[in-house]
Amino acid sequence: MNIIPLIEAPFNVPLKIIEITGGVGVRRRLLTMGFNRGDVLELDSRAILNGPLIVRNVTHGTRTAIGRGVAFRILVFRADEAK
Amino acid sequence: MKQNNLPNVVFVGQPNCGKSTLFNSIAGLKAETSNFPGTSVSHTYSRVNVFGTLFNIVDLPGTYSLCPQDPAERVALGHILSEKPDVIVNVIDASTLSRELRLTLELLELGYPMVVVLNMMDVAERKGIRIDSERLSAILGVPMVETVALHGRGIKEFLDKVVELFNNPVRPLHLAWSQEVEDKISELVAAVPPELSAPPGRRFTSIKLLETGGFYCSRFLAEFEPELDAALKRISRELSERRGMPVYEVIAAERHHLAMKIFENTTSILCGKHLTLENRIDSVLMHPILGYPILLLVFLSAFFLIFKVGSPIESLFMNPLEKLRLLTASSLGQGFAFHTLDGLLQGIGGGVVVVLPYFIPLVFLMSILDDAGYTARAGFLLDVFMHRMGLHGKSVAPFILGFGCNVPAIMATRILESNRDRIITSLLVPFIPCSARTTIILALVAFYLGPFFAFGFYAINIAVVGLLGFLISRFFKGPSPGLILEIPELRRPVFISIFKKVWLQLSVFIKFAWPLLIAGSIVLSLLTWAGATPLINKILSPLVAYALGLPQELGVTLVFGFLRRELSLVMMLQALGIDYQNLLTVITKEQILVFTVFVNFFIPCFSTLAVLWKEIGKKWALVSAGLSVGVAVTLSLLVRLVF
Repeated sequence: MNIIPLIEAPFNVPLKIIEITGGVGVRRRLLTMGFNRGDVLELDSRAILNGPLIVRNVTHGTRTAIGRGVAFRILVFRADEAK
Repeated sequence: MKQNNLPNVVFVGQPNCGKSTLFNSIAGLKAETSNFPGTSVSHTYSRVNVFGTLFNIVDLPGTYSLCPQDPAERVALGHILSEKPDVIVNVIDASTLSRELRLTLELLELGYPMVVVLNMMDVAERKGIRIDSERLSAILGVPMVETVALHGRGIKEFLDKVVELFNNPVRPLHLAWSQEVEDKISELVAAVPPELSAPPGRRFTSIKLLETGGFYCSRFLAEFEPELDAALKRISRELSERRGMPVYEVIAAERHHLAMKIFENTTSILCGKHLTLENRIDSVLMHPILGYPILLLVFLSAFFLIFKVGSPIESLFMNPLEKLRLLTASSLGQGFAFHTLDGLLQGIGGGVVVVLPYFIPLVFLMSILDDAGYTARAGFLLDVFMHRMGLHGKSVAPFILGFGCNVPAIMATRILESNRDRIITSLLVPFIPCSARTTIILALVAFYLGPFFAFGFYAINIAVVGLLGFLISRFFKGPSPGLILEIPELRRPVFISIFKKVWLQLSVFIKFAWPLLIAGSIVLSLLTWAGATPLINKILSPLVAYALGLPQELGVTLVFGFLRRELSLVMMLQALGIDYQNLLTVITKEQILVFTVFVNFFIPCFSTLAVLWKEIGKKWALVSAGLSVGVAVTLSLLVRLVF
């Protein structure tokens, strides 16, 4: 199982959140917006010049733009390879 | 806050769940709906008669949880705790049920009678989500109703449920979490003295204490309630050691698991049905490369349209306004009465000339973009550039509003979580050319120097905002918290919702900005009456005549123009004693440019200054005024040197 920050993850594959690191403020915000351990995410696209990512939360059916700094703190692994 | 003794019905929901749309369809022309998370920043009231019973209905800002993270969310919790609602209406976006259930569970902990509204059922159906709402209602122990607020579906059933619940109030039971967490909570409940408990009860108080770590009252606890403080610390430590995570995450995880369990028991997802058309449109709108030309095109065409609509309407008003002025002059002479009335009329007229041709069309177009969900997408695309200014994509929405009027734009900064971002954004908004300044740029730069100069003017203006942001953010410690912005589904804008939004913006302008414009206009007229103008012009001549190379007569117009900015052009013509067509016979094109640059960047208008004062404090309002003086002088000197 290869744990990587969301920012380095490939597009359009299921990614499972294993941990959210960083400051309390960001962690709480992500939690309340529906980013929990175990949720499955998929990366949709990324803006130019290292801009934010569009992250699809497959578990909840939401879509969120997440800045680079925040995406660095969400640790995930590839759910399709874990099997 | 409650103005009467009517029963209170409070609407609570996460951003973008259609809560304000539902509220509006009941309340009439009183609230705003928005796609940008949480734009209904202040709560909105209305009195409604539902089947013979009068209710006080309240629309709270969208909130993801009851542990508030931004000023708008704080309003929500504060209101619930202080007002003790008779009925809570929890509006849920049925298409993202599993996430929205978390807030529902949190609301159940409050123990107030509650109706759950499964809104946006049409979107859920298109996504292939089937919800067994009877079963969900039974599990949660609260009445439930399915609606599509946008099309008015289910509204009557909803009102029925509210009245029914009000007449036979049922306090819902909270749903139990895992045993070990429940045991710990019971231990803490026993330690909470009854007089210290928040209105919803000791269990709620205990959970909030655990979630916030007693953050808001830790000192108080340590000093006056050492036993409770010790119990809180011990239980927090035990819980977080057992689960290997901070205690607020333990609580969040409990709610999450419960919500997911309920979701799985009541919902089935039919696969294969996706919003393919929407997804395809979206992948173009947010394309890393294609997205930008589209963004540019959208905004350019918006401004072009406003230019095409605005100028003809404006010219319709200019002549009658001038005639009215001549008429008052001929009947009242040149005394005190004339100048007071003249100031009043010009203040009112100036407002009309800005509002009808420019402000309303601009706000109308911005509301369409916002309702369609485009503002959030623009926020995503522009985040990169906002980062260079020390901000992030969420600040895009206030900036866009600023093109209409700076006053509501500064109010809209309440959606930003961090105080730092709020202050930086509020300091930058006054540099966005609002509709009043647009009229000046169009009338002077576009008319005398050509449309390319006007475009250039805008481009440079935006570059100046960027540069200022870059510089200002150096003075603030710590980075911006980073972008976390929900992208709502694309939606077809609905006229009534847009109409209400325009109305709300307009009412802010009429109630707040316009009276100040009129007051400023009267002050300026009385200055003329008192014969102070030549004296002020003389005092200002080192700046106006020597530094900027403009006719000395323009002193008052330039420096006191902020009292009546929307009429700067009229005032300029009056000061020079010339009509619009013959302007070039007394001043050069270069002087016109210097004048426009100065007027555009100089002190934000009176109303903007007042709203800055109110929103971010005296200190920052003064900083903003100082900043704009500096920028106006520097830039107009630069223009003079270059041309």
